[in-house]
Amino acid sequence: MELRQASDTTVDGVPIHGGTEVVPLLRAGLLRAETLVDIRGVVSRGVADGRIGAGVPLAEIECDPQVPEVLREACRLAASPQLRNMGSLGGNLLQATRCWYWRLNWPCRLHDGDECFAREGEHREHAIFANDFCASAHPSDVAAALLALDATLTTSRRELPLAGLYRLPTDDDRRTTTLDPGELILDVRYDKPDASVYLKAMERKRWAFPLVGVAAVRRGATTRVALAGVAPIPWLLDGFESAAPLPRNAYKVDVAKALVKRATAAVAG
Amino acid sequence: MRLDVNDHAYELHCEVGTTLAEALRDELSLTGTKIACGEGHCGACTVLVDGAPVLSCITLAHAVGDAKVTTIEGLREHPMLRSFVRADALQCGFCTPGQVVSAVALVEARPEPTTEEIRHAMAGNLCRCGAYPKIEEAIRTWRD
Ligand SMILES: Cc1cc2nc3c(=O)[nH]c(=O)nc-3n(C[C@H](O)[C@H](O)[C@H](O)COP(=O)(O)OP(=O)(O)OC[C@H]3O[C@@H](n4cnc5c(N)ncnc54)[C@H](O)[C@@H]3O)c2cc1C
Ligand code: SF4
Ligand code: FES
Ligand code: FES
Repeated sequence: MELRQASDTTVDGVPIHGGTEVVPLLRAGLLRAETLVDIRGVVSRGVADGRIGAGVPLAEIECDPQVPEVLREACRLAASPQLRNMGSLGGNLLQATRCWYWRLNWPCRLHDGDECFAREGEHREHAIFANDFCASAHPSDVAAALLALDATLTTSRRELPLAGLYRLPTDDDRRTTTLDPGELILDVRYDKPDASVYLKAMERKRWAFPLVGVAAVRRGATTRVALAGVAPIPWLLDGFESAAPLPRNAYKVDVAKALVKRATAAVAG
Repeated sequence: MRLDVNDHAYELHCEVGTTLAEALRDELSLTGTKIACGEGHCGACTVLVDGAPVLSCITLAHAVGDAKVTTIEGLREHPMLRSFVRADALQCGFCTPGQVVSAVALVEARPEPTTEEIRHAMAGNLCRCGAYPKIEEAIRTWRD
């Protein structure tokens, strides 16, 4: 394996920023790379009004007063202090699932196999929406906040709404993002909200992945709500009718409903 | 490759993929930095890179570049060490180097942290022995 410094935004190899996801995946044999490309020199680390570079570490977003509450709080409650010092915004959006079958390299559907072991097995932490093919729960607090903010991403090739970064895996295409190999996320933009909030239910009070994360953003009379930890991708809430909990995770529906109620009340004008 | 550790420039050879924790322990014999989970969950391997606490078990040695690394060995004279001893803030001691490194970064930024600030800044350092109350005490009283 070799490590190269990127000189511009055309990368030929696996991009690495903080490495908090890349390094464990390499060591677990879940990611193979001949060339790692260190992109820290070519991805912006700036925060301006309504624009955040994809290279900004979560620890900086967490305490920047220009950043809307929903995103600051999502960063503050994500991971641990050391990981927030290391982990970038762009890398956070592209983190892989925490599904333990996947992490232990079971030949499940997300690894191109033909079974979802979680559906029949341990799925207390898994998805309650869109979980029939793969029941993994998207772990990013930050992505839920940006989805509620209706943020726009700039990549090295295009602009797209945050929602367009993600796709539900299917039989023909198991990917959960739409990013092409070598395409870099450069920055994230959003309009300022009138009010916003992030609430997170976790296994312990700090330093845990979201069981359910709820981001609510109000502009004028419209409130947009997005959830983490409830579907294989960050989930824009459109009611609970489509929820299809598994035998051991129905509690997530109750938790999500309660947090959505609290979050929408908190941002009400 | 070179590493700047505790204000000393080291010259070393290791393969790409070697973590900073492995380089410190196996190449430089700086074994104060511990590896427990080895995958970013526990904080035992915490070191400072340019003053900020990071996890050396998931940092690539080759990605450190010119940054300054501070390990527990570089904090021998810091009053926080004595404060941990005074408060008896450990049992088995395996998590302690990482705890001290995170605690030092906290008080360098905020000399008089509140309980909430201590808990927020120390959340990434797990202690299987459950010495948390004493660790908090050590940080609260570090200048006594
Ligand atoms: C133990 C643990 C707990 C965590 N808990 C939480 C949590 O509670 N909530 C939460 O939201 N997150 C959590 N995280 C995720 C963490 O925030 C991310 O791992 C981190 O932000 C990733 O950033 P990075 O710079 O280290 O990414 P890297 O590891 O460098 O990269 C991650 C992925 O993104 C790609 N990549 C990185 N940057 C770019 C870019 N600009 N353009 C294109 N591709 C890119 C890499 O190729 C790789 O595939 C946790 C992580 C760990 C390890
Ligand atoms: S939930 Fe998804 S990642 Fe987990 S076992 Fe099922 S298919 Fe694999
Ligand atoms: S050994 Fe590095 S976080 Fe556990
Ligand atoms: S003192 Fe034993 S793990 Fe903390």
